[in-house]
Parts: sequence; structure tokens; C-alpha cells
Amino acid sequence: MSGDIPEMKEEAYSEDQIVRYLLGDLPEQAQVEIEDRAFQDKQYLQSIVAVEDDLIDEYARGELSDSERRRFEQRFLSSQERRRKVEFARALAIVTTELARPERESFPARAPAASGRPGALAAFLRGLNPAVGFALAASVLLILIGGSWLFVENLRLRSELAELGREQESREQRRQALEQQLAEERARADETAARLERERGQELARQLERAVGESTTRPAPPAIASLALLPGVSRSGGARSKLVIPQATGRARLQIGIEPEDEYSRFSVELRAQAGQQVWAEDNLRPRAIRGGRVVVLNLPANILQNGKYELVLKGVTGERSFEEIGYYYFEVLKK
Amino acid sequence: MADDESFSPDRRAAYAPRRKWALTQQAFDKLLASLGEDRARAGERYLEVRSNLIRFFQWRGCPFPDDHADETINRVAKRIEEGEDIRNAPGYFLGVARMLVLEINRERAREHQALGEMASERVETSEPEEPQASIECLRACLESLSPENAELIVQYYQGEKSAKIENRKRLTERFKIPVNTLRMRALRLRDKLQVCVEDCLKR
Repeated sequence: MSGDIPEMKEEAYSEDQIVRYLLGDLPEQAQVEIEDRAFQDKQYLQSIVAVEDDLIDEYARGELSDSERRRFEQRFLSSQERRRKVEFARALAIVTTELARPERESFPARAPAASGRPGALAAFLRGLNPAVGFALAASVLLILIGGSWLFVENLRLRSELAELGREQESREQRRQALEQQLAEERARADETAARLERERGQELARQLERAVGESTTRPAPPAIASLALLPGVSRSGGARSKLVIPQATGRARLQIGIEPEDEYSRFSVELRAQAGQQVWAEDNLRPRAIRGGRVVVLNLPANILQNGKYELVLKGVTGERSFEEIGYYYFEVLKK
Repeated sequence: MADDESFSPDRRAAYAPRRKWALTQQAFDKLLASLGEDRARAGERYLEVRSNLIRFFQWRGCPFPDDHADETINRVAKRIEEGEDIRNAPGYFLGVARMLVLEINRERAREHQALGEMASERVETSEPEEPQASIECLRACLESLSPENAELIVQYYQGEKSAKIENRKRLTERFKIPVNTLRMRALRLRDKLQVCVEDCLKR
């Protein structure tokens, strides 16, 4: 359907406009035009996706200006899917750089020195004594051979130099990668949570496809029941947050908001039932930055939670075995 | 200190306002019928609409694009069941989605205010880490591509802005294909690689 919307302003097609759209930099009317067009023209939609991928790559490579980077982070990093795309782009940038063949060193074509005036040189040689001429010709030949050898050797050395450069770059990347490994291990818990999210998304898509195929549609229960707990909620407060767990739910996910002043790098969580008995505890939880602050995410099997009221204690880790209780959160579980 | 009255029980639910109306078989059938007479084709269009809606909510910077897309579909299905006659389905879905974006933004603003400016527009981002596991998976996934496709994807996404443009120009000449075809191939390969990397990370 390309070109089916003649009234569409031409600038809406430009890559620059799409970049501004993706960064949330366009007025509402221009955004609407781009979206309308994208919903009706698959090719245009693909162009936006392509520009989006390039923008993500530029962010991953650190090529965006400060203001673009800020807008990108506000707009792009708000969803899990986008964050996964950024992570993939980071890997892609590293691997494509690694696999890049260095630009072939370009050498200007060098014409033989003697090619400028062959007639004059021949006349000069003819005018010489034969023995002197022979010696001179032999010298020129030697110079040419030596020059050629030097030229070839020069090429070889440049090639080796380029190869060494590549190896050095590769070693440097590997060193940096190893340094990151420890941090990666620490982030494993976060990745697990992200994978759970992905699995949930995929499961939902499969269920939808199945539903369409079989012409039967029953809203599937979520694989994960989620509840966000905000800081500063008193025990005596009125309405208590409710975590509704449908029957087939396998996991429960509690997103625990942290007060800005609680700048701990690790947290510990203890979950108690109404009677006071501990039902779950987890240490070494790393906070995540989200739009609007920091949270700790607790994933736990849904089957350990029963109908009733719960208290969650959030502790900041202050040392090897020392904790500071910094927050209490109250919620109610309803199993369906 | 806020009390439970001002406490938002579930941020996800708050961003996708609580669904009082549930999608029924009958409503879904009507929704499919609005997308086409042939049920199989309508099913395909349904998936396409959902995928486009997810993209739309991503482009608008919404936090849970999948959930918002489902909420949009539910709202449209509800209106159809109530007798609304939809002639331009894509436009209609988009209109409903835009209304939802307004609600989401209002909800966000309200929540930011409730959090006492804790939720400023500033987004904290962690220091970029080199995703070693992803890199290793990507290397393995690239090896699973044909040499031609591997060359295409590596060259297509290689280099900085200007170098990238030159690389892509060279690729169109090398593979003798127009820019649009090259872009489509690169996008498909990128999607395939991302899925491969994510599967690899799960293992």
C-alpha cells in the first residue's frame, strides 16, 4: 500500500522524522500521521523498525549525543522488550566490530620510475660506452629488483601490523569481557526474572495462536501473578494490596519499591504469614532501576502462598552478616 | 508516610486499567468477523493487529506493551459486542490505543505525584555492561547462518553512521539487490539472531 496516503506530508517519510518520532520529539499530530501510515503500509512500518534498530545500535555504540541519549533512555528503556533489544544490540556491536575486516590499506598506484620518459632514457643509454651502459643497465635492474622487494616486504609488514592490531583489539575485548564476567554473574538473578517475563510473553503468544487456530478463546491465566508494593505503607492503613493468584499460576512476582534514601546495593527479604511464621526468605537481592525509582524483585513459587495476609520485611545489607530492617509491606493473597 | 488508601496495589494493573469486562467466546467471534469473512485470514489479521499494537505502545514508551495491546483488543471487542460497526479496523484499534496511552500517561503522572517526585523524568540506567553470555551466544548463532547471510548481517550492522551507509551501499552492489530488499533481509536475519540468542541464553 505504499503511497496510498497522498495527503501525508512528505517529511513524515524521512529517516530524520522517524528518529524524532521514536525519541518522542514530534508534536502529536506528526506522531499520529506516522502511526496511521505505519498501520496501513507494511513497508513503511518495516522502515520504522529498521530505523529503530539503527537507533538502538547507535545507543549501544555510544554514538548518540547527550540529549539524544537522555531522550532514548526515557522513551526506550521503559519496557522489558526494548531493554532486551538494547542488550542484543550491545552484543551485536561487539561481535560485528570483532569480525570487521580492517579497511584494506590503500596504496596509491605507483608507476615505475622509468616510465615517465622512455624515449629519452633509451637515447641516453645508446649514447654511452657499451661497458658503462651495461653496468648502468645492471645497476638500474638491481635497483628495480631491490625496490620491488622492498615494496612487497613493506606490504607484508603492513599486513602483519594490521593482524597484530586485530589480535590486540581482540585480546582487549576478551580482557574487558572477563572483567565483566563477575558482574554478569551477579546479574544472573535479574536475568532469571527477565527470562521468566519472556517465557510469560511467549506463552501468552502461543496461547493466542492456539486460540485463533482452534477458534476457542478463554483468557488464559497468567503464568506469573504480579504485585507492586510501594514503600511507606502503614500496617494500620485501610485497603490492603491484593495479590490475586489464578489456579494455574506457577510463580508470583513481588516488585518492592525502595525509598530513594535507602541507597543499599544489596537487599534481603523475609516474607511472613499472618501468624508470624516465615514462608520465604531471600538474600543478596540487587535493586533494579525503573522509571520512578528503584525496586527489588522477588520471584517465588505461587504454591507457597495461601489465602491470607502477609507481611514482607525488606532489609538493607550493611555487611557480611548484618542487615538493617528498612521497610514493611503488607498485602493479602487471594487464590482463585 | 502514605497510607494504604493512596497505595497503588499493582503498578502493572494500574497502567492497564482494571478489566471489568472479560472477553467472551461470542465477543471474540465478533471481533474476528470484523477483521474478515474468512476466519483463518481474520485470525492472521488479528495476530498482525496485536503485533502492530505492541509496536505502537513500545514507540510511545509505554511500560507493558503486551498488556496494553491486549487491553486495547478487549476494549474494541467490547464495543463491537455492544453493536459498534467498525469499517476501518486498523484505524479503530489505533484510536482506542491512543486513548489508552492518554490514560497510561495520566496514571503515570498521578503515580509520580503520589511518590513525592521520586519518580522524576530521570531514568536511572545501570552502567552498560558487556553482555558476555549474549556475545558468546551471538557468535554461535552467527555460525548457524549460511556464510552469505552471516556476511550480510555482519556487514549491514558494522561501523558507525557514515561507514554503515557505505557498507550498505556496497552490499546492495555485492548482492545485486535493491536497498529495501537488503533492509528486509537484514531485519529478518536480525530478528532470527535475537530469537536464537535468547533461546541460547535460556539453555
